[in-house]
Amino acid sequence: MAELKSLSPGSPVRFPNFALPRRLRLSAFLCTLVLLGMAFFVLYPVALLVYSSFLVDLPSGGKALGLDTWISAWSQNGILQAVINTFQRVVVTELISFPVAVLIAWLVIRTDMPGKRLIENFFWVAFFLPALPVLMGWILLFDPGHGLVNLGWAWLFNVPKGPFNIYGFSGIVFAHIAARSVAAKFIFLAPAFRNLDGAMEEASRIAGAGPIATLRKIVIPVLMPAFLITIAISLIHSLESFEIELILGPTTNFYVFSTKIFQVVREDPPQFGVATVLGLAILISMLPLILWQQHLSHSRNFVTVTSRSTTLPLRLRKWRVPIFAVICTFGAFITVVPVACLLMGTFMNLYGYFDIEKVWTTTHWATVLTDNTLIQSTVNTLIMGLSAALIGTFWFALVAYISVRTKYAARGVLDLLSWLPASIPGIILGLALLWMFLTVPALQPFYGTTAILVVAAILASVSTGVQLIKSNMVQLGNELEEASFIAGGSWFYTFRRIVLPLVGPVLIAVALLTFASAARNVAGIAMLVSGDNRPLSMLQADYMIDGAFEPAAVVGVLIVILALTMSVVARYIGGRVGLTAVAKKKDL
Amino acid sequence: MLKLDHIRKTFGSYRAVDDLSLEIKEGEIFALLGPSGCGKSTTLRQIAGLDQPDTGDILLKDKPLFSSAKDIFVPAQKRNMGMVFQSYAIWPHLSVYETVAYPLRLRRWSSADVDVAVRAIIKQVGLEGMEDRASPTLSGGQQQRVALARALVYKPDVLLLDEPFSNLDVKLREHMRVELKILQRRVGVSVVLVTHDQAEALSLADRLAVMNAGRIEQIGTPIELYDEPATPFVRDFIGQTTKFAAQITEIGSNGDARVEIGTAKFPLMGTASNFVKREMGEKVIACIRPERIAVASAARGHGGNELEGTVETMLFLGDRYECLVQIGGQAILAYVPSSERLKEGQRVPLAFPKEALTLWPN
Repeated sequence: MAELKSLSPGSPVRFPNFALPRRLRLSAFLCTLVLLGMAFFVLYPVALLVYSSFLVDLPSGGKALGLDTWISAWSQNGILQAVINTFQRVVVTELISFPVAVLIAWLVIRTDMPGKRLIENFFWVAFFLPALPVLMGWILLFDPGHGLVNLGWAWLFNVPKGPFNIYGFSGIVFAHIAARSVAAKFIFLAPAFRNLDGAMEEASRIAGAGPIATLRKIVIPVLMPAFLITIAISLIHSLESFEIELILGPTTNFYVFSTKIFQVVREDPPQFGVATVLGLAILISMLPLILWQQHLSHSRNFVTVTSRSTTLPLRLRKWRVPIFAVICTFGAFITVVPVACLLMGTFMNLYGYFDIEKVWTTTHWATVLTDNTLIQSTVNTLIMGLSAALIGTFWFALVAYISVRTKYAARGVLDLLSWLPASIPGIILGLALLWMFLTVPALQPFYGTTAILVVAAILASVSTGVQLIKSNMVQLGNELEEASFIAGGSWFYTFRRIVLPLVGPVLIAVALLTFASAARNVAGIAMLVSGDNRPLSMLQADYMIDGAFEPAAVVGVLIVILALTMSVVARYIGGRVGLTAVAKKKDL
Repeated sequence: MLKLDHIRKTFGSYRAVDDLSLEIKEGEIFALLGPSGCGKSTTLRQIAGLDQPDTGDILLKDKPLFSSAKDIFVPAQKRNMGMVFQSYAIWPHLSVYETVAYPLRLRRWSSADVDVAVRAIIKQVGLEGMEDRASPTLSGGQQQRVALARALVYKPDVLLLDEPFSNLDVKLREHMRVELKILQRRVGVSVVLVTHDQAEALSLADRLAVMNAGRIEQIGTPIELYDEPATPFVRDFIGQTTKFAAQITEIGSNGDARVEIGTAKFPLMGTASNFVKREMGEKVIACIRPERIAVASAARGHGGNELEGTVETMLFLGDRYECLVQIGGQAILAYVPSSERLKEGQRVPLAFPKEALTLWPN
């Protein structure tokens, strides 16, 4: 042992309490801090919201508990209609987009269709694209009066007017399907299709079933658990939608709960009572859905069959190219087309009007780029995005580490708190945060600052962020750290040389995604914006509400550039992390 | 050299390790053998410092690593032990060279010293030329060599092996066993090996402890445990045992007893173990290793302890037959050399050497 220079036994470390190793006891304190912090920003605002909905102003000036707010809210015009509209819109959207997504996922993953990479990339881009800028592209094409498609239709068939109308119910449903609805489902479903053991399909084919019968009798039943969880998550996400209805709804007086909340809070005086009751009513009606989704994801009866038997995909033969053409067109239609339209719109004198004397101009870029409002908003977005990315990622990593690597007793509660924000619609969480920042004296100074938006942005990303880091940490396994301890590494040395390099890429990916989501976010922050702290996304929404589409388009392009580059880089890094993990698994 | 003294560890009401004491000698390979969940891995992790016993003492060269009474716990990184994990725990972001150099770098060796030591150990484990390969691109056997090199490069006092061969295929496993034994003899490091594979424990270990339900059933050399199991658990866990119900009919003076087997009342002489009360008429279980039963031509000349049975089935295993023979309503397992030409249904003589037939309580 002569070579051994420093570390040798016999320098015992003393513990006052040996029941727990020191590492564990230290973290027990830290864990509780994290838990309390999480509870304060997730549970407390919602609890406050519930409590305030039962507060009644007394004539004497005091307050008492009562049901007055609940009763009077429902007598308000359009509240019940907003709830009905919400569910109607969600159900119709999902009924159309789910079968489409299943079909596309199956065709892309399990047949010999060409250009799979391209199509997958289309859907990822569609998934990352912010809703409002895309919406502007659709408006340019499908505005009932001067939409390009409508004009073309009128010219082609020699009729006075084209048939499409982006405003109103059908337009909103279309916008959802073309925005994230199909793309998100494809992204959820693709791994399930990929992991399906090809031998199951082959056995069915050998038994005499054709491809359609095999899809119907084998593939779909086997993948049913994955389908159900996708449906549950999609329904929750769809319910949370806000921006599309905000722009396309009011002209036909179509309100969903989120736009209704936004409307009544913007009234003078703001009707917080009505907004609160409406939000809580939606939360309550979502509860069975949330519980169902939790049940599904915890029962873990996924058919994640090993993909060891890689079979030849189903041959489409003469349908190969036509099917590719259709799906590729769809992919381009939901990504390239609206963004190109948006970009084109920024150079138009009047957004979407091709029949005026001087159609093209660059003045919007010139004016907007020198405009103080835009510069202020850009600064706000950057500050909000960077803070949310840095603070958020650190926080998510802490939460993930606690729930994966420690034996902390309440780590289940922490887990629950980390997915809860994903199930609460952003507009409601925003309303709850607004309550909290208005009523807690210590927080009041933060109202109207960027700090409040950072909190909202972190909450909007907490579920995804924690999940991503967690799955990465689980894959790495305890032994990688333990091997370093055994080799003589201290906790900090191990963290620096083993944990950080291995988890680092996913942390960067999470930070980028958090930034992108913050830059794109409208629903979560709409309630909390008050002039000075307005970021780009809200600036665009406000421009659009005011009908100022030209500056809105310029801002939209900026948001697309910000959100898309961050997301694409994050996916690239995330993909590489995923790949190494897979390669590692295969070798072991 | 390494001493565990009255170690206890409970998880809730479950006793993972129950009053365990053992001592490992300098330079030996010591195996902890037992079924999964018997507490052997917990024990190993406690030696490593990755886990803490509730009570007890762990001493390395008479210095305490853990003592509940003296309130001492030396963390894993200060124990100077090497460990090969079941999953090998190969860091995917480091090359083979950097993985092996890791323990030396954090001991602040000069890079010249690191280079000499790393190249030497990489040569010893047979990974020359792979220094720059990324660890995840290696095969299972190569990953294990890397793990072994990483664990040995800093000359640890004890090398801990946690089911090191369970992820390898059978051929490679046997090969690695031989290599490990040769390497250990050359390096001279003390080894604690945890395994559930008795062949691994018997072939590798100088001494081994059989564990069951958190307790040590027996400690000894492989031969001692195989030939003189102290408990029914050890007897059944290690090797094959042919067992049949019997009854004592006669008690000898020196610990022997004559028994009748089954309904057919064939008397046999056996060695009664300590557990048997040795009463007339006592129901016991007679046990013998199948390879100790002499069958057919080999059965001649054993004087006395012989029976006749009917060959029921024969499984050909290349070097021998595994033969089920019917005696007195019971089928007993015996090994027959493949040179012996037997037929199913044939009557054969069987001889039971007196010292090989042991009697156990029913």
